[in-house]
Amino acid sequence: MINALFDIISNNMLLIFILLPAFVGLIMLFIRKRFAIQLAVLLLSSIINLIAAYTLFASESFSYVIPFASFGLDIVLVSNELSSLFIMLVAAMFLFVCLYSAFYLKHKKQFSVFMLYMYISLAMLNGAILSDSLGIMLFFWEGLLCTLLGMLLINNTSKPKAAIKALVLSGTADLLLMLGIILTAYQAKTMLINEITPIKIQGFVPTLGFFCMLFGAIGKAGSMPFHSWIPEAANDATTPFLVSFPGALEKLAGFYLAVVVTTKLYDLRPHSTISNIVMTIGVLSLLFAVSMALIQKDMKRLLSYHAISQVGYMVLGIGSGLPIGIAGAVFHMLNNAVFKSCLYMCAGSIESQTSTTDLKKFSGVGKCMPITSICFTICGLAIAGVPPFCGFFSKELLFDAALESNIVFYIGALIGAFMTAVSFLKMGRAAFFGKLKLPEEKKISESEAGMLVPMIALSIICIIFGVFNTLPLDTLINKGLMFEKSFSGWPHSILLVVISLVVLCIAVLDHLYGSKKSGSALNAADHIHYAPVLKTIYSIAERGYFDLYNQMNALFNVFAKICVMFERAVSFTYDTIAVNAALLPGKVMRRYHNGSLGRYLFAALCGVVIIILIFIAVLV
Amino acid sequence: MRALQYVSMLFVIIPLTALIVCSLIKRSRQNAAFYLLSAFAAAQVGLALYGLMLFNSLNISEYSFGFHITQAVADVFTLKPASLVMLLCIGLVSFTSLLVAYKTMPANKKLSYLRLLSALIIGMNGIVLVNDLFTMYLFIEIIGISSFVLISTTKTEEGLESAFIYLVMSSLASIMLLTGLAFIFMRTGSLKFEYLIAINNTSAEVSQNALTYLSYILVISGLLIKTGAVPFHSWLPDAHQSADTSVSVLLSGIVIKAAGVYCLMRVTDIFGNLYAIRLSLAILGVITIAVGAMFALHQNHFKRILAYSSVSQMGYMLLGISAGGILGFIGTMLHIFNHAVFKSTLFTNAAALHEEVHTLDIDKLGGLQKQMPITATTSLIAFLSTAGIPPLSGFWSKLLIIIALWKANFIGFAAAALVLSIFTAAYFLRLQMNVFWGQTPEHLQSIKEVKGTIRFAEIMLTIITIAVGLGFPFILLFLEASGII
Repeated sequence: MINALFDIISNNMLLIFILLPAFVGLIMLFIRKRFAIQLAVLLLSSIINLIAAYTLFASESFSYVIPFASFGLDIVLVSNELSSLFIMLVAAMFLFVCLYSAFYLKHKKQFSVFMLYMYISLAMLNGAILSDSLGIMLFFWEGLLCTLLGMLLINNTSKPKAAIKALVLSGTADLLLMLGIILTAYQAKTMLINEITPIKIQGFVPTLGFFCMLFGAIGKAGSMPFHSWIPEAANDATTPFLVSFPGALEKLAGFYLAVVVTTKLYDLRPHSTISNIVMTIGVLSLLFAVSMALIQKDMKRLLSYHAISQVGYMVLGIGSGLPIGIAGAVFHMLNNAVFKSCLYMCAGSIESQTSTTDLKKFSGVGKCMPITSICFTICGLAIAGVPPFCGFFSKELLFDAALESNIVFYIGALIGAFMTAVSFLKMGRAAFFGKLKLPEEKKISESEAGMLVPMIALSIICIIFGVFNTLPLDTLINKGLMFEKSFSGWPHSILLVVISLVVLCIAVLDHLYGSKKSGSALNAADHIHYAPVLKTIYSIAERGYFDLYNQMNALFNVFAKICVMFERAVSFTYDTIAVNAALLPGKVMRRYHNGSLGRYLFAALCGVVIIILIFIAVLV
Repeated sequence: MRALQYVSMLFVIIPLTALIVCSLIKRSRQNAAFYLLSAFAAAQVGLALYGLMLFNSLNISEYSFGFHITQAVADVFTLKPASLVMLLCIGLVSFTSLLVAYKTMPANKKLSYLRLLSALIIGMNGIVLVNDLFTMYLFIEIIGISSFVLISTTKTEEGLESAFIYLVMSSLASIMLLTGLAFIFMRTGSLKFEYLIAINNTSAEVSQNALTYLSYILVISGLLIKTGAVPFHSWLPDAHQSADTSVSVLLSGIVIKAAGVYCLMRVTDIFGNLYAIRLSLAILGVITIAVGAMFALHQNHFKRILAYSSVSQMGYMLLGISAGGILGFIGTMLHIFNHAVFKSTLFTNAAALHEEVHTLDIDKLGGLQKQMPITATTSLIAFLSTAGIPPLSGFWSKLLIIIALWKANFIGFAAAALVLSIFTAAYFLRLQMNVFWGQTPEHLQSIKEVKGTIRFAEIMLTIITIAVGLGFPFILLFLEASGII
């Protein structure tokens, strides 16, 4: 009996990853106002999901085909090294972010709906990662867009600016992805990822296909130029949304696809032009976002720009096409998911006490919230790339790959690291240290334990992944990517380490100089902000000129004016000419349909004549 | 085999029994006859499904039977999976018609309605079971005659006029059919399907002279009149509009298909799938779809729109026949079934509106979504299915027909079929908007949702539409697994 049950489960295991979360999500919708039960269901389901994911990762690769209709419309799910790795990472991150969200939204009325969206998103994510057919993957991908939109709408239904922006930008990215899939399938003559041998990127169609797919993938992860909805969401959406989506899950999804595109679908050669272009995009994305982050005065907004800049690092790594770059990128993605969601969690923790994340309105909460401040410090050090935290090791791998490709990329990456460190020094010092200042007079204390647990766990992971980096690099990533060379241990080039450390020191000095000059930690970056040339660039950026959405809007405005004439002609064609053309025959014929039997008989005889004529035409 | 023997005989015995019982029963006990006939119709649905299962388990493609007094007489009936699908549709539509008639039919007409319905079912069951052309013609006549009387039961001026038009057009069809059959008989000496198929497929030396082709043309034209294809359709809208709604359900739901499309399908097969025949059907099919839809766009009477929609949908079936091949065949059969279901739903909605609002002029209706939510929703689903929106059943049949056309190298026709679906959406959208959506006028505020059998029929048919749509991928898989497609 139990064996039979076990068989059924193991046979349909891949389906469970999609059906279980969807089902739990529906359950969540119906349990209202009983937090203990909600929490139990949540923990149980996420842990089951994690255990199942681990078994998948530990087992051999296999595929599962659900026949659906004829004509090759089968749903093919595949568990191989890469997909099972990502399934496991998603499951682990999901557990943490879901736990945090539950406590954050405890007793709030959005709880059920938010959890429904979370679980449906998990189902879609699992489906997108597991599906072997590009077409089916696209279905799950679009499903993810729907839940994203839903989550952005929860808090702000009257003026959903961020939601619309996210829909337009992610929709554009998905459109590119769709085009890319069509082009890829056209070249490979199959939709199944496993059957595709990496396509050489030569000539127009493969290049276009590659870029469409890659942009679709990294667009989902929030890279430039599809990024600008994330800072907007920092104002509009709930913090749990930021923790889960821009923080962790979306990066994982987008990056999974990016890895698939560069390693399985297309043959991305290191040092090729294509590789250089991708790396340039990465560096630009990194530099732009990190310099925008530098001048932000709101924690969530600042973190959102960092969420974009870290994607730049990953794109840089993956674009190099080198094993060390790809391994570094995946490692950095994993680290980023850990520390970025933890940082968002810290921001949320502060927000739950002070009800603001605007650094101008509060400061020095460190003494009242010691655990939050410790977690924030650890993750801040990790994201800045200080040894021995995890971010340091992944960044060293990326620096290595960048240097091997071109020294320009290396310098860009270093500048990025410098600015990251500066902005985190500023935020950390302003928020946690120094004199206590609050928007209103009230006593604040540490957040409740349920929110702290995931934060502490993630911070510990930050340390573990740094100190014992064989664990993530060898056991997880190398198995998933099937690389033979190990990248774990201390970085092999001492020179690079020294350079990185020097850069960090310069960052600290710069911060000290800045805070002395401006008189407060918060304004420590002002001397960069208001430096002669940068000032103009920043003011342009602040006005949104680098925002694809705005550019698209502006472009569309010009385009729209040109189109108005055309549009009028078209609507005239549709509204007047086409409608009349469709209605006219009916009107004319209707006159003959007046009940006169003679006419009816005549029409029938005409029909006979038509048939006779067709017969004559065919036979003679 | 024995079970199959009983099942197949029941298809003939059930309607005969019904006719005899309805003829003998007293007017005071007409409700008992009503229940009996409903039970018979439901039983036919069950038997047809059972028969399909039997066919699957016995793994045979056809089964011939007859009511022998002596062994010398050959079997007159042949049961095939296709005939079982038709029998299923006949049972289903008759059942729906009975549910509708229970409310709409005036008390003094009920008994004659029941008798005529039994006769009609005899005709339709017969037509899908026969295995020779002349018997087929006889059953067509039975269907025709019971239909005239059914249309004219209301005895309104319109009803009588349209019945008369139908009578005249049908006589034209009879003349053509009979002349055609005579020519065929003259040439071959037999009207048995098997014999004709054998001749057309093997012996090329039988001269395919002008007379043969003339006979084909006449038979096909005759059947096209029965189908209501453009330009033979003129009788159809009047007949469907002026008849009682329960009769319209029958006419539109099954009669034109049993007496028209199904026979055309058999006949095309028997005449050796001639390219000329298929091309004529394809051309007339496209004309039918287009013209039917264009007429439907102009009508203001709910049932008249539905009637023209039927004309238009017949075009899809003609295209399916013209595509030929197993895909075209399955597509056509499925479209017959789907059309039976969704058109019955829509006519049932018409009955609901007629019962509650007492008018079917769409200019006088409006905004009934709130007042009649079930009718509005079922109508919407039926219309989406007709327009071929996935995952409803109509999508699959249109898809199969279009794929079959593509494979048969009728690419232009496939494209036309696809493009003309827009018209289907257009006229139904107009209908839905005028009747159910928008502002509710003052005088319609107090309307209530229809109750009883009509509501039951609406819900039942909608469930079938959705279930078949969702389940059809599995049927396709099954067909693929058993090597049919």
